[in-house]
Amino acid sequence: MSAATEQPKQTLTVTTNDNVDIVVEREILERSVLIKNMIGDVGEEQIDTAIPLPNVNEPVMKKVIEWCEHHRKDPPAPEGDDSDSRKKSTDIDEWDQKFMQVDQEMLFEIILAANYLDIKGLLDVGCKTVANMIKGKSPDEIRKTFNIQNDFTPEEEDQIRRENEWAEDR
Amino acid sequence: MARSRRASRLSASRSDTSASTSPERGLDDDNDSLMLQANDSLSSLAPSVSLEYDEEAMRREIEERCRRSPISRLPAELMISIFSKLSSSGDLKNCMLVSKEWARNSVGLLWHRPQTNKWGGLKNVISTVRKVDGFFDYATLVKRLNLSALGNEVSDGTLQPLSLCKRVERLTLTGCTKLSDLSLTAMLKDNHSLLALDITGLESVTDKTMQILAENCVRLQGLNITNCKKITDESLEVVAQRCRHVKRLKFNGCSQLTDKSILAFAMNCRYLLEIDLHDCKLLEDESITTLIAEGPHLRELRLAHCHRLTDNAFIRLPNTTYDSLRILDLTDCIELQDWGIQKAVHAAPRLRNLVLAKCRNLTDRAVLAITHLGKNLHYIHLGHCSRITDAGVLALVKACNRIRYIDLACCSNLTDNSVKELAMLPKLKRIGLVKCGNITDRSILALAKPKMIPGHTVAVIPSALERVHLSYCTNLTLSGIHALLNNCPRLTHLSLTGVQAFLREDLVMFCREAPLEFNDHQRDVFCVFSGLGVTRLREHLNRSSRRMPSVDGETMYDETEEPEMNDVTHQANGMSMEEGEEFGEASEMMVEDEHQNF
Repeated sequence: MSAATEQPKQTLTVTTNDNVDIVVEREILERSVLIKNMIGDVGEEQIDTAIPLPNVNEPVMKKVIEWCEHHRKDPPAPEGDDSDSRKKSTDIDEWDQKFMQVDQEMLFEIILAANYLDIKGLLDVGCKTVANMIKGKSPDEIRKTFNIQNDFTPEEEDQIRRENEWAEDR
Repeated sequence: MARSRRASRLSASRSDTSASTSPERGLDDDNDSLMLQANDSLSSLAPSVSLEYDEEAMRREIEERCRRSPISRLPAELMISIFSKLSSSGDLKNCMLVSKEWARNSVGLLWHRPQTNKWGGLKNVISTVRKVDGFFDYATLVKRLNLSALGNEVSDGTLQPLSLCKRVERLTLTGCTKLSDLSLTAMLKDNHSLLALDITGLESVTDKTMQILAENCVRLQGLNITNCKKITDESLEVVAQRCRHVKRLKFNGCSQLTDKSILAFAMNCRYLLEIDLHDCKLLEDESITTLIAEGPHLRELRLAHCHRLTDNAFIRLPNTTYDSLRILDLTDCIELQDWGIQKAVHAAPRLRNLVLAKCRNLTDRAVLAITHLGKNLHYIHLGHCSRITDAGVLALVKACNRIRYIDLACCSNLTDNSVKELAMLPKLKRIGLVKCGNITDRSILALAKPKMIPGHTVAVIPSALERVHLSYCTNLTLSGIHALLNNCPRLTHLSLTGVQAFLREDLVMFCREAPLEFNDHQRDVFCVFSGLGVTRLREHLNRSSRRMPSVDGETMYDETEEPEMNDVTHQANGMSMEEGEEFGEASEMMVEDEHQNF
């Protein structure tokens, strides 16, 4: 790894599902565990072949690359990422907050892409962003925020309310 | 137990798996799951989908839905990841009320650990769990139950209905003293998921409960039966044989237990990490030797007040080392002698915490053996080891310079020479010198003296000292303590009970209240400053010294230096706030110390 910094920066090409080739520095792209493993699987010789990404389109991939570039030096995510503090905190650093100021379509595409490409940090930021959009809102406000149809009958809604009365708003 | 559920009850299986102990939430799923989920949610929206439903039409409908509401693109596991970031159960409840799909994906998280710390909430949880026609099968979603906040108000009648929750993984009933075998056996029967059981203080619980535990809960990892005096070797032997994954055991105060059950745990449970046998007074050497010798992972061994323990417990260990062992508490193991400690240190060279309080036979020879722990040693308690001398302490400081906590209460041979050395420990946070009657202000000035950063002539490291116990060090005067206060910005506890120089109206007013159980005489001499009290005492002394310059010629700093010191104070206070729980692990012992140090 350390030797890589002295060599000229190695680049890779990815092909998005709308058939666009994007050339990216290898170090940046390897924030994606999926791509890192793919490179490992095909071997160093075949590295100049473009990597197909059938689940990501160009605009989304560009956003993902932007995030990876900014976070290229982040330490790798800790294994077994279920520590309570990490899970529960919805603090997002300022750059990431700005980065996530996109329309909902793009926000959920980024989350899906982060999940598919296995980029834990980006997925985490995405989920926190959505969680922050939910926090403190009433069910109706949540439905409006995400344009969700209420498919409960009034009786069902009342039943769930009663069965979960213990869960206090704090 | 099989109850008919209303046919229309929604399946909670997805949320259910997500809420299990496994942290994996299927993050490696590819986009197939998107389609799966879409199908799935659609079928819940329109339960009467016919088989010949046109696939193309269905796809169009999904696409339309995703266009209208982009969040519906996210598969269940990603929705669950999002919901898991919500810490308030109120938010989760609101998610449940959004739509059926959202309800399915949030119910498991909400019911993972229902709020049972208040009666109102608990009653609602119980009535929901009991419902035959609930919207979800809530009982199976409960993974953690903790009734300890309601303590002795909880009766068998309270716990009984919760026995429907057969997948509880952590059951905490600390101090629910009214509970008996009746509800506990019901609770544990057919539960094969239980990982941890805490029944601290449930004195009427007997072997019956432990038998059921052994028969059913074979995945058990943690068991706390502190002060359950009716549980005997007989049932615990079965637990040891059946629950082989046990990692943490707390049998404090179970003075009825003998080597028989502890040997069974030592022989059967290879994954044992921590065992606390505080006050298990019948234990003998054999079980302790076996615990260490057969437990390759054993990290923490607490044996306070195991009076029958002798040197042989360690002498009989095989001639090898146990590198996992980090914490050894031998408080009041009165039979122990130097030779036993030498063997213990040799066998466990990576000990970090060593508690030898009240091992009154120990001498400098034991302390010299302890020096072999070197940098590994962070925490050492030698209170009431009154035979040790300056020579022992000097050697200890030289070899073990990472010590953060040291207690030498009642080591009455010690003089200023010891404390001057101790003051050099760069990481020292807490020092206990209660009833070290020989020490004088020279010791305190040494503790107060700023330490230079190596290689620097001006820059000083702010002292790390946080807690200083000096009660009954009767030679001490104001000037030493004043210097200490001004040079230890992190100081949050200073005890000076029984030190005549401080029993003055104008100083005692910054003291905290004496504990209720203290008698009049104890109140008269009580003098402990903590938290804000320390700050106020510091300010008060600084004010009065300004009025009367150089109280007795020993103030270490003139006025000009003071603002700088205050800066350091602010900075370091900030730091100590952030560092917070670094000492959390040892906190239990700290509490004990509080009592000794009054």
